[in-house]
Amino acid sequence: MFPYIIKRLLQSIPTLLIVITLSFFLMRLAPGGPFDGERKLPPEIEANLLAAYNMDQPLFMQFVDYLGGIAQGDFGPSFKYKDFSVSDLIWSGFPVSLELGMWAMLLAVILGVLIGCYAALHQNTRWDYLMMGGAMAGIAIPNFVMAPILTLVFGVYLSWLPVGGWNDGALSNKVLPILALALPQIAYIARMTRGSMIEVLGSHFIRTAKAKGLTATKVIQKHALKAALLPVVSYLGPATAGIITGSVVIEQIFGIPGIGRYFVQAALNRDYTLVMGTVVFYGGLIILFNLVVDIIYGLLDPQIRYEN
Amino acid sequence: MSTQPFVIEQSSAVKQNHQSQQPILEVDNLHVDFNLHTGTVSAVKGVSFNLHKGETLALVGESGSGKSVTSMSILQLLPNLVSHPKGQIRYDGLDLLRAEEKQLCRVRGDRIAMVFQEPMTSLNPLQTIEMQVAEVLIEHKAMTKQQAQPRVLELFELVGIPNPKARLKAYPHELSGGQRQRVMIAMALACEPDILIADEPTTALDVTIQAQIMELLKDLQDRFGMAILFITHDLGVVHHFADRVCVMRYGEIVEQGITTQVFNDPKHPYTRELLDSEPKGKKSAVSPSSPILLEAKDIRVEFPIRTGFFSRITDSVKAVNNISLKLREGQTLGIVGESGSGKSTLGKALLRLISSEGKIQFEDEAIDVKDMLEMRPLRRRMQVVFQDPFGSLSPRMTVAEVIAEGLKVHEPLFNARQRDQAVCQSLEEVDLDPALRNRYPHEFSGGQRQRIAIARAMVLKPKFLLLDEPTSALDRSVQVKVVELLRDLQKKHALTYLFISHDLAVVKALSDEVIVMQNGNVVEQGSAEQIFQNPKEIYTQQLLAAAFDLELVEEQPQLACV
Amino acid sequence: MTNSASDAVTSSNPASLPVVKGESLMQDAWRRLLQNRATMISLMILAIIVLLSYLGPLLISADVDEIYWDYMGVGPTLEESLWFGTDYNGRDLFVRTLYGGQISLSVALVATAVSLIIGVAYGAISGYVGGRTDNLMMRLVDILYSLPFMFLVILMMVVFGRSIFLIYIAIGAVEWLDMARIVRGQTLALKRREFVDAAHALGVSDKMIVIRHIIPNAIGPVIVYVTLTVPKVILLESFLSFLGLGVQEPMTSWGVLISEGTGNMESAPWMLIFPAAFLAVTLFCLNFIGDGLRDALDPKTR
Repeated sequence: MFPYIIKRLLQSIPTLLIVITLSFFLMRLAPGGPFDGERKLPPEIEANLLAAYNMDQPLFMQFVDYLGGIAQGDFGPSFKYKDFSVSDLIWSGFPVSLELGMWAMLLAVILGVLIGCYAALHQNTRWDYLMMGGAMAGIAIPNFVMAPILTLVFGVYLSWLPVGGWNDGALSNKVLPILALALPQIAYIARMTRGSMIEVLGSHFIRTAKAKGLTATKVIQKHALKAALLPVVSYLGPATAGIITGSVVIEQIFGIPGIGRYFVQAALNRDYTLVMGTVVFYGGLIILFNLVVDIIYGLLDPQIRYEN
Repeated sequence: MSTQPFVIEQSSAVKQNHQSQQPILEVDNLHVDFNLHTGTVSAVKGVSFNLHKGETLALVGESGSGKSVTSMSILQLLPNLVSHPKGQIRYDGLDLLRAEEKQLCRVRGDRIAMVFQEPMTSLNPLQTIEMQVAEVLIEHKAMTKQQAQPRVLELFELVGIPNPKARLKAYPHELSGGQRQRVMIAMALACEPDILIADEPTTALDVTIQAQIMELLKDLQDRFGMAILFITHDLGVVHHFADRVCVMRYGEIVEQGITTQVFNDPKHPYTRELLDSEPKGKKSAVSPSSPILLEAKDIRVEFPIRTGFFSRITDSVKAVNNISLKLREGQTLGIVGESGSGKSTLGKALLRLISSEGKIQFEDEAIDVKDMLEMRPLRRRMQVVFQDPFGSLSPRMTVAEVIAEGLKVHEPLFNARQRDQAVCQSLEEVDLDPALRNRYPHEFSGGQRQRIAIARAMVLKPKFLLLDEPTSALDRSVQVKVVELLRDLQKKHALTYLFISHDLAVVKALSDEVIVMQNGNVVEQGSAEQIFQNPKEIYTQQLLAAAFDLELVEEQPQLACV
Repeated sequence: MTNSASDAVTSSNPASLPVVKGESLMQDAWRRLLQNRATMISLMILAIIVLLSYLGPLLISADVDEIYWDYMGVGPTLEESLWFGTDYNGRDLFVRTLYGGQISLSVALVATAVSLIIGVAYGAISGYVGGRTDNLMMRLVDILYSLPFMFLVILMMVVFGRSIFLIYIAIGAVEWLDMARIVRGQTLALKRREFVDAAHALGVSDKMIVIRHIIPNAIGPVIVYVTLTVPKVILLESFLSFLGLGVQEPMTSWGVLISEGTGNMESAPWMLIFPAAFLAVTLFCLNFIGDGLRDALDPKTR
């Protein structure tokens, strides 16, 4: 198991490097200088600015410096929020985004698996069709449509929950964003669980388990569930990416002070360093989570463990 | 079936004993329907038989006869879309067809246990084999996992798993097919059941392993005195192994009786057909002056093994290791071996379908130096028929297109009408109705598809045919007809065959010469007569024993005891 | 020699033999598709949406940014045929929704085509050549897979400005990875099938094997995947547009309209509901069609 983890760790380094390199050089490819505003800056001020942002050096040296900075957790200064470094902004938004994301993920996995299993065990009944129709809707309706609809219904018409804002993380403010973030993932996981559960239930080793005299419940608990959940585990990587991406719009819609909101603002304001820093941060996060998921998968499936 | 007489007396004595007792399992007028959305299909229509304590009853039939469905009905292991409109299965005062789930669970695995056909997929891939066997004991004998361990160990020893202690924590993918089947048997025997249902337990295994597993089952039966319901398509095994036999076809039992009586005096024509379906006859010899068609010297095929981060070649497997052979026109060379012996690889290398080292001479040309393009004109004289009649025909082409494909390459001047004519001729040659040529492969049966594959080769009028297990995926009765067809074609067109098979009966019926292969090497090489009558090597003897004379291997020591 | 009749007896469906015309797998799949009610209804609704989007504006000869000065921010009304109402600039929402549909659908088609071309070429080469080339090409795909693509696309939008052309390329470039994997898997599996060996033995050239055997047999899963890629791409485009990083004024797309609607949902809910409904129904239909196609083409259900 240990060599496998090491190997996966080593494999994720080049991926991270590619993300950093790609975003760095893409940004430098931008037509026009970063300080091209409405009015032309005097050359000496522009030179000062370039020096301040370390941009008067050869491109390669800038890249090396940037890499060095990232290694120490420093993404450089923000272009637009002059008094903040990119790292400050990221770390101020991260706890909020993390809390949101974690709850959404937890909800997605628990509800998704439960719904999927239920539908699989009641295959082709009315409940199955109802749940899978709902799951299809969850996939078809993107969360930037779902979020306003939820707000409209529960916030505006019913007035049960606040329409937006964070309010220092009050529970009532969290409910709608978490739900909106989780719904598409619940739908995906439910469909996936149902599919793999049905496949596993038809497999030969389940027949063996039945022939041993295990009750239907035990057959599912001890044999079917673990095998059926393997594809769900490997989906957790993409699910993380989906939730992080989703959080960008959700934070925007509900006005939540997470990284996503900084990211969109930065993108609209062309705050290059902040956009770049956020992309690298998100990239690192997704790669890290993929790694964790792979390791969990390796622990669950003995056929991976011995493969090296 | 040469040793029939003395088997009669041996098992009929045992038999009389059983008949007097009350049966422990009664299957009475069993009906099984599959309720598909296209309609209801009756898979079993009124099957009745009894099973007595300690006896072995065989259900024999070809694919689609309903034998497996019958056996699965006993423990109610069929999917939900199955219903039993009529009939009863009585065990211990219980009608299993109508028993409650709770009652069934008490019978399953404890009183009636089952071994399945698919050893590779019947074990849970995510659980250790110890846990999987222990689970039965935990469930039925109220043991804890710790209490179960010595018993599991004992069972593993009993079924012959080498070094059982070290194997306890192994996962199924770390075991070979034969060993997995042994684990399945250990699981089935854990509670010393009254009845063991074995559904084609050896079909997926190599012949020598097959013999070992059958031997094991018989030995265990002697020790525990359980009854065995044995489902198989292989009459050879039945003859040796079963006390009584039920022959099934189209969901009905057409004949049942004491094995020796059924074998000696079959009443039903279908039973006679089945018994007759062992390929018979011998290949008539070819004149020694017949010219040499194919000659190969020191053929070697190696597959590289890539490992590590950068997929470097670190080692290689010698799939074929220095094999030489010679084939005269009109001859058939049989190549025999178990899976992984390299026999198919050798065949492909001889046809230059994969690269190899060593000299190959076809007619007057050295073909080992030719590349794919240079080989093309020769291809019409050397053709191939593969094993899997489902996989060897492209599902998207009509039969006419499949057969005409070679003509397009080798007879580019043919117009559509000429091609069509050639296609019809070759279909007639393989006894298929040319009117069916616009249908697609999935609309034909296995035997018919194999005929199409033969027609595809024959339309080019080749001199040499590579037959790579052409009959292995077919039912015995269909097999015999394909063998007949191949024999007729050979006679009519003076064809030369390279016949690759693990099925010795078929090889025996078709070959002049035989090569026995194991792990890429030649074990023994010689005339068919010499190999089959007087095998020199132990491996060859084992193969022959496993294929033809199961009874000799196992019963001779017993007879000595008596 | 026994004749063919006795062999035919072993066939599972002797009754069907007298019919001489065969049914190909494609015909069979098509028949199954026609029987799938959810898929057929989805196909019809989708056809209506597509026709409306492309022909509707032509028929009523309306302009995207035509302003009805007397009807600013009114809800659905039959006056002036403003069925979906207007936005706060007085523009007809029905016309804008249809125009938005044109953009969303054309982005989806072009980007899917881009992903199809790259993916099929890459996957087929990787699978057919095999060996070390395959290994290298697939490792690259693995690495690309773990990139946070959504964010790189946004980065590109920020850097190169927001052009619709860039959206085509960017989204197409993201989506080809799955296609490449699917095609490679198919090619590898087909290459090992015996009918390909048989074709080699007949002397059929590599090119003809790919054309006659590999492509026709790999096409099923590709069709299914294409159908499922289209909704993904529509989703991506509207996501970008929603954030203000995609399609720009005066052009519009469902994402842009939903974004505007979200801003005004308390006072003018129709601005959200109509474009959102069009988007959701389109995605719904496409997913159902994809599912139906998979069921129809899946050899396991055969």
